[in-house]
Amino acid sequence: MRVLRHLGPYLKRYRWTYILGAIAIVLHVFLKVLIPHFLGVTIDELSESEQKDPDAVRSAIAWSAFSIVAAAVLGATIRTWSRLLVLGGSRRVVHDLRRDVFDRLLKLPPSFYVRNRTGEVMSRVVNDVRNVQGLMGPVYMYLAETAVMYAICVSMIASISPYLLLLGVAPFPLFIVAARRMAGKIQQGSKDAQEELAQLSSKVDESLSGHMVIQTLTLEEYDFERFRERAEEYRRKNLYVSQARASLAPLMLGLSAVSTIVILWVGGPMVVRGEISLGSFLALTFYLAMMAAPTGVLGFVISSLQRGAVSLGRLRELTETEVTLTEPDSPIAIEGRLGELRVEGLTVTYGSPELGVLGADEADPAEGEEFVDPGSRVVLDNLSFALKPGDTLAVVGQTGSGKTTLMRILARELEVERGQVSFGGVDVCDLGLFDLRGRIGYVPQETFLFSKTLADNVALGNPGASREEIQLAIESARLGKDLDQLPNGVDTLLGERGVNLSGGQRQRTALARVMLLDPDLMLLDDTLSAVDSHTAEEILDELEPMMAGRSTVIATHRLSTIRHANHILVLEGGKLVEEGTHTSLLKANGTYARLWRRQSEGDSA
Amino acid sequence: MTPEAQYAKLRQSGHDRRVASRLWSFMRPHRRLITTGLLLLLVTSACRLIAPFLVKIAIDDHIEPGNLDGFPRLMMLFVAVSAAELLLRKLQMYTVDKAGQNALFDLRVALFSHMQKLSMRFFDRNKTGVLVGRVTTDIEALQELFSSGVVTILGDAVFLVSTLVILFWQNWQLTLVSLVIVPFLLLTTSLIRKRVRSAYEAMRSRISQMNGFLHENVTGMALIQIFRREELARSEFQPINDAVEESQLGAMKLETILSAAVELLGSLTTALILWYGGGVVLETLGADASELGVGSGLTIGALFLFVDYMGKFFRPLSDLSQKYTVLQNALTAGDRVFRLMDETDLVPEPSGDAVLPPTRGEIEFRDVTFRYDDGEAALSNMSWRLERGQSLAIVGDTGAGKTTVLKLLTRLYHLEEGGILLDGLDIREYPSRELRRRVGVVLQDVFLFNGTILENIRLGHPEITNERAAEIADRLHLGELFNRFPLGYNQLVTERGKNLSSGEKQLISFARVLATEPEILVMDEATSNVDTHTEALLQEAMRALMEDRTSIIIAHRLSTIQNVDRILVLRKGELAEEGTHEELMAQGGIYRRLFDLQGLTAV
Repeated sequence: MRVLRHLGPYLKRYRWTYILGAIAIVLHVFLKVLIPHFLGVTIDELSESEQKDPDAVRSAIAWSAFSIVAAAVLGATIRTWSRLLVLGGSRRVVHDLRRDVFDRLLKLPPSFYVRNRTGEVMSRVVNDVRNVQGLMGPVYMYLAETAVMYAICVSMIASISPYLLLLGVAPFPLFIVAARRMAGKIQQGSKDAQEELAQLSSKVDESLSGHMVIQTLTLEEYDFERFRERAEEYRRKNLYVSQARASLAPLMLGLSAVSTIVILWVGGPMVVRGEISLGSFLALTFYLAMMAAPTGVLGFVISSLQRGAVSLGRLRELTETEVTLTEPDSPIAIEGRLGELRVEGLTVTYGSPELGVLGADEADPAEGEEFVDPGSRVVLDNLSFALKPGDTLAVVGQTGSGKTTLMRILARELEVERGQVSFGGVDVCDLGLFDLRGRIGYVPQETFLFSKTLADNVALGNPGASREEIQLAIESARLGKDLDQLPNGVDTLLGERGVNLSGGQRQRTALARVMLLDPDLMLLDDTLSAVDSHTAEEILDELEPMMAGRSTVIATHRLSTIRHANHILVLEGGKLVEEGTHTSLLKANGTYARLWRRQSEGDSA
Repeated sequence: MTPEAQYAKLRQSGHDRRVASRLWSFMRPHRRLITTGLLLLLVTSACRLIAPFLVKIAIDDHIEPGNLDGFPRLMMLFVAVSAAELLLRKLQMYTVDKAGQNALFDLRVALFSHMQKLSMRFFDRNKTGVLVGRVTTDIEALQELFSSGVVTILGDAVFLVSTLVILFWQNWQLTLVSLVIVPFLLLTTSLIRKRVRSAYEAMRSRISQMNGFLHENVTGMALIQIFRREELARSEFQPINDAVEESQLGAMKLETILSAAVELLGSLTTALILWYGGGVVLETLGADASELGVGSGLTIGALFLFVDYMGKFFRPLSDLSQKYTVLQNALTAGDRVFRLMDETDLVPEPSGDAVLPPTRGEIEFRDVTFRYDDGEAALSNMSWRLERGQSLAIVGDTGAGKTTVLKLLTRLYHLEEGGILLDGLDIREYPSRELRRRVGVVLQDVFLFNGTILENIRLGHPEITNERAAEIADRLHLGELFNRFPLGYNQLVTERGKNLSSGEKQLISFARVLATEPEILVMDEATSNVDTHTEALLQEAMRALMEDRTSIIIAHRLSTIQNVDRILVLRKGELAEEGTHEELMAQGGIYRRLFDLQGLTAV
């Protein structure tokens, strides 16, 4: 529970809300408990009426009834007020918390997102924040209400008969423990069932979207069995929850039943003996019922409390993840264009440390099923090269040779772990990160499209660009002819809720983005792999004037696209195996020459 | 209300009844459970009524007059009644739930099985996401009927009526006075609940909007950072976050007011009972017992009974509007489910009279004309013939109708104009299973199940042994690729084959078809980008598949098809050119242009 301290700053901001909320809760509970008290008073007036003046009794009863109305009206008002304060406060706390978490996400480097799946990060932002909201709202309120209710009822009962208090309250601890266990079972069961439903849902999705394959391969029965198994499992998990739920409800009824029985059996004769009055005896049964009611949900409240605390810890983990790619303390300003790029002894190892992996210490069953490369793997091995401003460098190699990693390091997406990368003799770690990123145009192999219009997607790095500039970039990336297919041209909404572009169109969108930037260094990572060769030629023609006057690095496994390169690096398994110009490499008759021969054969045989 | 609206309402109610009766047809097999549940419900409701009445007797006959004779016996009875209620209630809740779970399981399975049979036309018209919702969300809404206690509303009704009968029997005037508040309760709950519901809907949609935003930004975070949009993203998030907070506050406010109102009305009823009932008790105490008839006069115990019963009376009443909402949602969901069950867009199966010819491997298209739902002809008047063992390639632009040939040949769509003959018999005479056994298909989209690589090759064919599957995999050189896994062919394929490259997945689907040894092979060539080595393996595998087999290749890249016996060039659904690679190149038509465009001669 020490993690609760992390809420400190938020609680401080809203402390008056929570303090006033607590005061309101005390008042409301007190008024609520007054109602059975006045009921008792009425009954006493009636049972002792024979010795009294009927009119006095009548007015006493009217007075009690009026008091109940007053307490009820006042109580309802204060109750509303207490909830607005506490539940509202929790929404505000969570609003701020979410803002801070999102701020943090914006600062965490891309490598963090490589190590942590989107689903995992989203679960922190969505589920954990929601659990904290539960903690700050309902949990706080129920716990406060229950505590106050216990305190007031206990003192009321004690004032009537300490003996009956002892007997009436005796079964409570037992029931709280039992309810706690049941609540745990129900919650775990519901969570399992929910996960099973998600599995079932993705099974149906798979079957329906694979409809064509299933029919042509006559896999209907096979697939049906798979679905049936899932549905059966889902039913089984639901029944487990039903069973737990069916056990909890009588348990709670049992608590008030046991209390009532004890009070009646022992208290009844006490009334007869005149030790307590009939009215206070009846009021007492109501007090016990009032205590029993919140006890029923106490189990849930306690587990919500625990869940909230765990979530708070998980959020803490997120905000404490070290940001490894930050602005240097005193960045060296870049004057003029970017200078010569030098890479020296660059070495990258993947999968070695668990640094920055969320929940690395938690057992994740899903992880076990996946194929994970055991041990660490050297992705780039002691790589060194240089690129003069205005020159074009090509990096060639098979899938997995380390091309993309190199590009991501040059784009300042990944940290330089070992070795050095410098521009004009200044280490990139000393250059302003924000400044540097503005001068590098990176076109990744696969790009992501935001749920914005095509124009906004192209203007991603340059939100102030004019329509004409955007149009020009679209034309240069040979995306213009695709506009006819889009319902609203450049204003067509893309992404998840909009139109889905083909692989080639996505690549050209990514290219258009960079064309709009006017960068000093262009990084093209297999940019035209999904574009047909004819269009690729056109785009390369278009790129040529752009490439003049700025440095370009092209990574590719399609050798025909690198005809303009001044220098070619050939990577194999992260190692630089050959370098030179196209002609010198062909003459050397090594890996490059072999690749070249195979590709020209494959294309024209 | 206008006559139209009235009519619509009438029809609606008939409609709801139809949905309910179809739902009942799924519950019927489980009627034993349901009957048991309802009987138990009656018993527990009775116990719920009896317990407070025993307290009333204790007060009036024993405690108030100070007579403890028989008091322990009464208390024993109280214990017995309470214990019975607790035990039976557990059983009752579980029984009702189980009946519901079983019925909905049957419904879900029946729905899925029905959808499996629907034709491609149906899937062209309907989005997968929506259909998934039918099997999950909609059936969950029906589930709510059971878990929220709508089904047990009958028990509530019996409970309410019995309560009223007992109260009237005790004192009918006081009963009427106690009920004064009830209309206000019903009015308040139904009025506010409606608004609470729409407030929650607004909240949910805002939250999902926010989650969508967050998901997108987390996914595209690298882009946000390298394109330096952090500040922009932050300012985009602010209004979204604010809107969520605001909608949450709105929903919470209404909910709070509602619960306060219910509590307040309950307390007012108590006050009313005490004030009016107190007066009656006073008169009764002063009067001679013989002057009072049934239904008038009141003892202190009975006054207590009124307070207790009315408290219990309020809960089901204030839940009523909520249950009505659940019921409505369930009926709407049920309607959607049953409409899908009624969908008849199936590819018709033959009567089964035709004698199937022995397998030879000849295909003939005779004047085939086909339209998709949008009306445009996808194929028009197409005729061609392919002899046993020949290979054919179909080329053409996107939308020329290449894939339609495949879809018609495998009867994913029902052909109405013209005919397709397999070994001399119209394919409409073949049971679809038999047809698809004879025609093996490799699609672009490789569908992998959770399971090992071998299981994915054997898929649905128990007669193929693991050894045979491994043999086939070896023949296609899959071993070279999969020896990187410690378990080799026994490596588990994860969710849709995330741990495999697209080339590897292609090879698995080749092996799959090879394992079933179809007489005809139809292949939709994949366009995805694979590295040179895998490409070589794929070419090799293709040769193995086509060996001694009538084959049709839907080609997207011309480099792979230059050795086929014949090439068809489609243009806008028509057969534009036909011949061998050399003939078509010499002809200098569309094929030649496509070939040059792909830059195959340029390099």
